[in-house]
Amino acid sequence: MAKHRRMIIIFTILVFISISLYLFFWMVTTPYQLFPKDPQLKVVMQKAITNIIGRKFDQVIGMTIAAILIASSSLVFQTITENRILTPSLIGFDAVFVTVQTLIVFLFTSSSIFYTNPYLNFVLASGLMIMISLSMYRIILKKNKNHLVFLLLVGMILSTLSRSLASFLQNIMDPMEFQSIVIRTEVTVSNMNTSIIYMSIPFLLIISFLFIKNFKTYDVMTLGESQAIGLGVEYQKKMNYALIYMAIAMSITTALIGPISFLGLITVNASRELLKTHKHLPLFILSSLIAMLMLILGQTIIIETGYMTTVSVWISLVGGIYMIYLLLKENQA
Amino acid sequence: MIQIKNISQSYGDFKVLDDITLEIPEGKITALIGANGAGKSTLLGVVSRLLIPSYGQVFIDDEDISLMKSHEVAKKLAILKQTNQHQVRISIRDLVSFGRFPHSKGRLKEEDIQKIDQVIEYMDLKNIEHKYLDQLSGGQRQRAYIAMILAQDTKYVFLDEPLNNLDMKYAIEMMTILQKMVKELHKTVIVVMHDINFAAAFSDYIIAMKDGKIASQGDIDTMMDKEKLDHIFDHDFCIAGVNGRKVCIYYNQENGVGNL
Repeated sequence: MAKHRRMIIIFTILVFISISLYLFFWMVTTPYQLFPKDPQLKVVMQKAITNIIGRKFDQVIGMTIAAILIASSSLVFQTITENRILTPSLIGFDAVFVTVQTLIVFLFTSSSIFYTNPYLNFVLASGLMIMISLSMYRIILKKNKNHLVFLLLVGMILSTLSRSLASFLQNIMDPMEFQSIVIRTEVTVSNMNTSIIYMSIPFLLIISFLFIKNFKTYDVMTLGESQAIGLGVEYQKKMNYALIYMAIAMSITTALIGPISFLGLITVNASRELLKTHKHLPLFILSSLIAMLMLILGQTIIIETGYMTTVSVWISLVGGIYMIYLLLKENQA
Repeated sequence: MIQIKNISQSYGDFKVLDDITLEIPEGKITALIGANGAGKSTLLGVVSRLLIPSYGQVFIDDEDISLMKSHEVAKKLAILKQTNQHQVRISIRDLVSFGRFPHSKGRLKEEDIQKIDQVIEYMDLKNIEHKYLDQLSGGQRQRAYIAMILAQDTKYVFLDEPLNNLDMKYAIEMMTILQKMVKELHKTVIVVMHDINFAAAFSDYIIAMKDGKIASQGDIDTMMDKEKLDHIFDHDFCIAGVNGRKVCIYYNQENGVGNL
């Protein structure tokens, strides 16, 4: 317990440092004089500074939302599928989201209310995501819980398939429609969809609340399905709800910062290694903090090095290597 | 009392359980035996509501199990299945705490903690209670799971092949623990097992299954009968007496001449 608290405090401090670096470090490296003597220039500069910091603050909020949702949904997904390697994005859920968006434009055109109204679009897209994830669980995940490599292959096929489907639809579309999709689906951490940041805060709060409320039950569910039922968990019901929360969480993060394949895998496993526990609450807090740290600090470095690459590329590089390590370790056991 | 009425379970056209009606005797160890694929584990799964039967009902103390809330069932009936879920980092104490989940919903009260301490003491796990499951030997791990079941504090305890992967010493230790549970804690224990001699030595009552039906049932003396066992297992048995107990020999027999 004391160890858990110490870890969480250390990472909270690191996250705060990285947030302040993200917000203010540019002031040190900027070639412009930020506090000029000339009173008129001073006013202009002050406006610019508040403007920049305000925009960066929005981005920090966006990254925080995405970090918490990715960490929590990956953690719970690993519990209900009884393994430590799969995450929603590895099974192809974020690719599915891009396809769903493309499909909406294809069926209703980009000027339709289902696409232009962010709320309606979100409800429709995440509704489809929920249906897809529930049926995917029924058809594939449930029967093959122990076949990790098989599930990874399914994830690969699913994401390739839905990406190809999306690009096929985009190819036969009107070029103008195609443009509007690119704006919506080609979001990254640097190029965040800022219009929905504040809209997602209530969703973040509700989803986190529902996850946290169920953590004690998820703790029992780590014992596996039959043992959990034996201990009085209404497994099927709890699992369906968890999948619904997860689908909504994935919709928000993918809409916000685009697909980041390995972030969930790294953060959840790193916090398992650091805390050595099965309890969901400390794991959730620490993996959210690690995810925030990786995104925010990573983004600071990317900006300071002149956008030579993106954070998701780095996370994929590190995460891919880490996954190979985990797979090898798992195979040995 | 547990009553099973007209239970059938089929996968496609294949009937795993075929119209089983059964009453499980109270306050005894009942061994559920039969050849592989006879439907023992499926029956145990249905009775403990892990599986939903295609047809029929299970009553626990005159209440239909399918109409009860899952956590209410979990206060009356505990089940231990063979799992290989050992890579999870759970300490013995945390595992035993899970046994209180039906009562506490995860928020342990004073009485829950008392019960956990008591069970850990009873199962002789006190000095290793903070060890993780993956650091334990097979026997210790099985004891830890039994402790969890005991913490659940139920009248009925079902075990699915608890002797698998245990060597003789631990298997005997396990069966002795089950006997103690019946004698000292007045539980009703139902065990699925393979070894007919273990069943004869440690249980009070034997239910034998064949092809999804109850082939025969009775106390040890009636069940340790050549004709019955030959029929249940489709094999040539030889019953011998050792120290006033019936033992069966099922290997190396020459032309059925096996009387030692």
